[in-house]
Amino acid sequence: MNALLSILVAGLGTYFSRSVFIIALANRRIPRNLSLAMEYVGPSVLAALVASLLSTPSASGGPGAPELLALAVAILLAWKTRRHLLTLAGAMATFWIAGWLLGM
Amino acid sequence: MQSSQSIVRRGIIDALPLFIPAIPFALVLGVAIAQAGIAPAIGWSSSWLIYGGASQLTLITLLGEGAAAAAAVTAALIVNARHLMYSAAMAPVFQQQPAWFRWLGSYFLIDQVFALCVLRSDLPAREFRHYYLAVGVTFWLLWVAANGAALFVGPTVPAQWQLGFAVPVMFTALVVVSIDRWPKLLAALVAAGVTWLCADMPHRSGLLLGALAGVVTGVTCDRTERQ
Repeated sequence: MNALLSILVAGLGTYFSRSVFIIALANRRIPRNLSLAMEYVGPSVLAALVASLLSTPSASGGPGAPELLALAVAILLAWKTRRHLLTLAGAMATFWIAGWLLGM
Repeated sequence: MQSSQSIVRRGIIDALPLFIPAIPFALVLGVAIAQAGIAPAIGWSSSWLIYGGASQLTLITLLGEGAAAAAAVTAALIVNARHLMYSAAMAPVFQQQPAWFRWLGSYFLIDQVFALCVLRSDLPAREFRHYYLAVGVTFWLLWVAANGAALFVGPTVPAQWQLGFAVPVMFTALVVVSIDRWPKLLAALVAAGVTWLCADMPHRSGLLLGALAGVVTGVTCDRTERQ
């Protein structure tokens, strides 16, 4: 129930952000400072999410070598190719191989 | 009528290749929903109630990690704040459209729909509407279907594969692709660093603090650079 309510509120908020200028404020412009700040919202929140996920205690005491190695590969592949599928495949392969080698 | 049909076909053809990068996202989302212990039907409802991959993944993952609902929803909405820019950019084009289309079209305004339709904003109102709906509905159907399929595939993946690690990998890819100037790199590094240091704060609230630190850093650098 808690999850459904969260999804519903997030959905309403998302619809608001997509519709507010189209429906209600067609003649308004986003203030300069706000649009500048919004450019930095994406990279900041997503980077914070990665840090938050890696620092979770359930991952048995923070990220190990396989995780760090795989993220390095992900950064390199995303930067060079900009292709999500390739990045995901390369990073997960690194994660599994490194985990298997270190676990031996 | 002929032109209307061909513009619809054009929209569908334009949308299909842009959907390919969304497929791994749907799969990762399916895994995240299974790991978060959220009922599949409720998890799937996020695909049409929120309709935005990165924010769905943010919300589901944070809820699964035991974050406070308010923090998880706030984080998801911040991820979607960029839609304000799309809304503002599209508003003049939508001025020539009927009211029903302004309400309905807003719902479909995701990254890919914006990217395609902003290029067609000089089409006559009627043709623009057909093109927009063709792109929007195509994407929507594929996304809702892919999310549904992922719910069946996600739980079948053996636990020792640790496919949940695909979630931070996917977010890392999104960060890297969004960095086009050095202040953004700095913003991302500060955001990650502050979040890491605040990892012990309750209900994952360190995440919001980290994101805020990143935005402030980015804006400050940007201003300094432009002066």
